[in-house]
Amino acid sequence: MSKVESGRINPEKAPARAWLMGIAGWLIPGLGHLLQGRWGRALLLGGAVWICFISGFMMGGHLFIYSGSEPGSSSLLQIPPMIGNLGTGLLYIISWLTGFGFSHEQQQAALPTFEYGWTFLLIAGLLNYLCMLDAFDIAAGRKS
Amino acid sequence: MRHFLVMTAFAVLSAVVFGTVAKDSNRERVVYGLKVFAEFMVIGLVLAWILYFIPY
Repeated sequence: MSKVESGRINPEKAPARAWLMGIAGWLIPGLGHLLQGRWGRALLLGGAVWICFISGFMMGGHLFIYSGSEPGSSSLLQIPPMIGNLGTGLLYIISWLTGFGFSHEQQQAALPTFEYGWTFLLIAGLLNYLCMLDAFDIAAGRKS
Repeated sequence: MRHFLVMTAFAVLSAVVFGTVAKDSNRERVVYGLKVFAEFMVIGLVLAWILYFIPY
């Protein structure tokens, strides 16, 4: 009996390797493609994310984190950008463990590129989510 | 000028990622990447001009 005849959707399960590649790609931008021998893609995708992340800090940007210390529900507003930042994987986790890049001094906030900075950091995470999914799809055989 | 350069950098980086993950052949990737880059730049400039005339 086929999947259609049985009337039940039975999506193909992705192999464990695909999940590993996805996690690798999330942890270190570009690693998911590198481990699959996709050097060109690793260089382009990983390079774009790394450049975005580093230039974000160079422009005076900061990362977001949910602290829960702000009054009312305003702390909740930190959650969406935090999810975006989390896309950079280990880069975010190391920054969090070392306490680097989460606060911004008055001098830093006065920089003309301050807003661009945190936007670049946010974009780095969001782009890496795309790269992670690409690495997953390639490993799962859904993409060439 | 600085703002324009930052916008260009953003458009280039995003276009590289979008172009690489979205299509199947290299030619399609380059064309799509250029299209995404052009769209980011044009929309950014149009929005900048619209905001320029808003007095708030």
